[in-house]
Amino acid sequence: MIEQILASGVVLTTPILLAAIGGLVNRQAGIVNIALEGKMLVGAFVAIVISAATGSWLVATLAAALVSMVIGYGFSLTITRLGANMITAGLGLNVLAAGAIGFLMSYAYGSSGTLRLPDVALLPHVFPQSVESVPVVGQLLAHLDPLTILAVLAIAVLPFLLGATRFGLWIRATGNAAPVMLAVGLKPKLLQEASTAFAGFFAGLAGAQLALASIGIFNEGLTAGRGFIALAAFYFGRDRPWQTAAACLLFGLLDAAQIRMQTVGLPPRLIGALPYLMVLVALVVSQMRSLRRTQ
Amino acid sequence: MTRIALGATEIRKSYGSVLANQGISLSVGPGEIHAVVGENGAGKSTLMRVLQGIERPDSGHVTVMDRDVSFAGPADALAEGIGMVHQEFMLAPDLSLLENLVLGDEPLRWGRGAFALIDWQSAEAQGRGLAERIGIEVDWHRRAGAAPVHIQQFVEIIRLLRRGSRILILDEPTAVLAPQQVNELFDLVRRIREDGTAILFISHKIGEVMALADRVTVIRQGKIAFSAAVAETSGEEIASHIVDGSNPVGGEIRRGTPGPVVLDVAGLSAEAVEKSHPLHDISFAVHSGEIVGLAGVAGNGQVELMEALSGLRQAKGRVELAGIDLGGLDAERRRAAGMGYISPDRRHEGLAIDASIEENAIAGSHRASPISNGLWVDRGAMKRVALERLNRLSVKYGALRDPVASLSGGNQQRVVFARETAGSPQLLLVSQPTRGVDLNGIAAIHSILRDFRDADGAVLLVSEELDELQMLSDRIMVMAQGRIVGALDADADRREIGRLMVMEGVGA
Amino acid sequence: MSNWLDRGLGFAVPLLIALLVSALVLLAIGENPLDTFSLMLTEGFGSPRRLASTLSAATPLLFTAVGTAICFRAGVFNVGVDGAFLIGGLAAVVAGFSLPAELGWSLVPICLAVGALFGAAWLFIPGWLLARLEVDEVVSTLMLNFIAVAITGYLVNGPFLSRQSGNNVTPPVHEAAELSRLMPPGTLHSGFLLALAVLVAYAFWTRRTPAGLEGAWVGLNRRFSRVVGVSVQRTIILAMVLSGIVGGLGGAAHGLGQLHRFTDGFSAGYGFTGMAVALLAHNSPLGMLIGAILFGALASAGTTIQLFSDIPLDLVNIIQGIVMIFAVIELGRIGIRRRVKA
Repeated sequence: MIEQILASGVVLTTPILLAAIGGLVNRQAGIVNIALEGKMLVGAFVAIVISAATGSWLVATLAAALVSMVIGYGFSLTITRLGANMITAGLGLNVLAAGAIGFLMSYAYGSSGTLRLPDVALLPHVFPQSVESVPVVGQLLAHLDPLTILAVLAIAVLPFLLGATRFGLWIRATGNAAPVMLAVGLKPKLLQEASTAFAGFFAGLAGAQLALASIGIFNEGLTAGRGFIALAAFYFGRDRPWQTAAACLLFGLLDAAQIRMQTVGLPPRLIGALPYLMVLVALVVSQMRSLRRTQ
Repeated sequence: MTRIALGATEIRKSYGSVLANQGISLSVGPGEIHAVVGENGAGKSTLMRVLQGIERPDSGHVTVMDRDVSFAGPADALAEGIGMVHQEFMLAPDLSLLENLVLGDEPLRWGRGAFALIDWQSAEAQGRGLAERIGIEVDWHRRAGAAPVHIQQFVEIIRLLRRGSRILILDEPTAVLAPQQVNELFDLVRRIREDGTAILFISHKIGEVMALADRVTVIRQGKIAFSAAVAETSGEEIASHIVDGSNPVGGEIRRGTPGPVVLDVAGLSAEAVEKSHPLHDISFAVHSGEIVGLAGVAGNGQVELMEALSGLRQAKGRVELAGIDLGGLDAERRRAAGMGYISPDRRHEGLAIDASIEENAIAGSHRASPISNGLWVDRGAMKRVALERLNRLSVKYGALRDPVASLSGGNQQRVVFARETAGSPQLLLVSQPTRGVDLNGIAAIHSILRDFRDADGAVLLVSEELDELQMLSDRIMVMAQGRIVGALDADADRREIGRLMVMEGVGA
Repeated sequence: MSNWLDRGLGFAVPLLIALLVSALVLLAIGENPLDTFSLMLTEGFGSPRRLASTLSAATPLLFTAVGTAICFRAGVFNVGVDGAFLIGGLAAVVAGFSLPAELGWSLVPICLAVGALFGAAWLFIPGWLLARLEVDEVVSTLMLNFIAVAITGYLVNGPFLSRQSGNNVTPPVHEAAELSRLMPPGTLHSGFLLALAVLVAYAFWTRRTPAGLEGAWVGLNRRFSRVVGVSVQRTIILAMVLSGIVGGLGGAAHGLGQLHRFTDGFSAGYGFTGMAVALLAHNSPLGMLIGAILFGALASAGTTIQLFSDIPLDLVNIIQGIVMIFAVIELGRIGIRRRVKA
């Protein structure tokens, strides 16, 4: 049973983690990306359509990431160049993305809610089926897909990217003090746009993983608030890569375990609220600490 | 050989009807420190904005290294080697000092473009080298926001030097420094001068000019009022040119006739705002019918004291208003007890700048009769009260509903006074009342303060303009490092006041 | 004068952008945008029956828009009116079927009060957290929305599940607890009148109460507010609680007037559409009335248009999303506002 929870927990963690990676870089540059949900949905939709059309999971995944990236970039322009509010614009983009996809589905495919296409190529498993026999992690390894590996690699590389490259330094400086960036001759808006495009790219990957990991069917409710769970994760992890990843894993495992907890009498709906409650509690605790420190 | 490192020729710049710069020319050569002094609003900052490429002059031109240049923006000025050290430090507080040092011009270990790897070792070596050259020590791995203020300032200077700035503009660099830190800064600036760097030093503190600069230029009302080699002039002469004619109403000095104690403060202490001094065991009294001036270098606890008295800041100690203990009362109750507060920051605290003139004039009285019965607001009464208050102080405005931002600085300040003196408070706490106010406005505000005093009001007045303090006050207290270090007559010798203002190591 | 002009432009520009985009979308699928828009106008306003259904759809939006505006004008970025709508709605409905039917006519005010009370309590939480601990209200209210969905979802599938009607719904409220229908058989109910009353009360509150003036001052400048003796903490909490009351009332009216029960998916994103309305109107009462009716018309016309043509209802979401994105852009930056002196 633990094997199964671990295996499905990791599968459920991946999309949250991918989205959170983008979101945390975005927030380090000073933009709270509330539109991850919408961009994940777009990514999932594009992944299904392209996968069915080309039969290639790789092409589908790249297409999903690129489309979301372009959307993310366009979205950032409304904030940086037109002065839109990042919160309401983000919520608006979620509504717009859902509306546009619904519109396309019913217009182009004549379906509402669910899109089934033939010949959708799913994500391959990285290891041969025989690894199932490995104790404890066998199940997990057998179901491991390339995007999960990418997510783990990205998390491993991220501290280095943020700490040792110019891009990372500029991102952090932008979120911390944009006027300083201007004073030293750099362009903070450009960095915010780039980081939002980056977040879009990873949200697209997250959507592709969600769509192509197991079922290969698109559904309007496919993301089911995971973009917001990702938001919760990087808030919980205070924008630090490893802490954020740990929060994602926790939320993923919770998700996997909730079906089982039902059998011991815990209602799954309430368990679904735990990530949000945890963020709330974490925020309260950290504020209490920082207030006490200043007093 | 370069003669002019940075020069301005016949710079004119106006904002609407305000002629901020009316043909200013000055220059600084390599290895020279040129001080530019003048009161707030004299036109110093406009000139600096032109020299930095932030503003384009209406006419006139800028010279860099003996060449005429034209700046499209601040980046051009930076590229010409002009570096500005701001009053608000330009460091990202959550990054380390080292990261701040190299930001925008990182030494690279590998690759190019945005994803190139930064060579932190050589960055640190460069930082060490520069710090050593100008004789300071820096813990480069410290978070910038956690470093002492003068270190933050030094790092900003080092950053400019590292990026090849041959001309430094220091904008009131000592405003937030403690005296010993000021000395360190001056040593550093002198060493930079020896390297051939040209330095433009903006200040309104004469003592610092005399101590540091080679040359001094006084700007008054958008024009050059005086320029000389420091060795050939005196502090008194500079001072006379700064204030000359700027106080046309200053002729008449009337003192008040103090009555009973209104404000009684004993053992007051409070935490500091960032970069300032905490209050330490402050005791004094203000009587009715007198203006008590509080002199001091900015950031020595004046803001904290005024906020602690008005209830905006938590404080320990005893504060009594006409015999009533104000301990534990918040700002709302202290107002009700008879206290008015003129904020030093009119745009961000004294007024809600985007709200209507009407609301700004009545705010604070909106819960009481006749405007409100506690539940509803009588808009008619509100309008009448606002009109009455504005007329009493002759505020000039278009319509009551216009945002208060549409008024001139002087009229904005009159709105603040109209509101804060309306309930005939016993005590008025006044900070920087004439900052950013034109000459007529200054005269009007001075007479408002005198009238208030003459009607048996008590006033505690904080001002950075010593002239203003000496002209208005009945007596003067001097604040340094969060303490009251002396009390003098209003016509005391300026040098004595100045000596107290820079008193060091009082207790601490 | 210029103030009115700016406000009008602030209202019109996002709508025009949205209409332009949807016109392009319609062109792309081979529909004539003008035909579609005029069909929408007819379907939204063309007859008393259609107008009634527009107003019915506008009712929840009026509540959520006012609830949002109360906070936004006080500078409190509350995105949690949707949660208050859900919590208030469920509480009112539960009161509506579990209190004794014998209470008769008094059931309606009691149930509305229960809804308002629960809504108020719900948003008191982030209000208190913001005022006392400076917990970022965007995140807290966003999280609370999801928690409200989870709690109501659990209750409606568990303790309050109707035994008769299967999944995801509560039992219906007593007939006495229903809000009266104004134009049967249409769904327009007296909750609309309540919404109008709330809107008028909001207009009154903003201009003619001390607390309303204080709300605006706190929104414009917190330091100023403190100086003139206004308690910023109290004002923030009050704004949140009032917002919760209005949101909760909205949910109660929706439950008692429209659905007569609580179901999963009780709020079709009303909190967010209401936010779009408040943003578009820059919190002005008249603007919110127009905005809510426009969005109500979009929703009700969109449904019929989907029936009679190939245009998917999702067009409404596209319009709403674009309005939200562009609602608060600085007009000066796209060169529409006359240049003010530098």
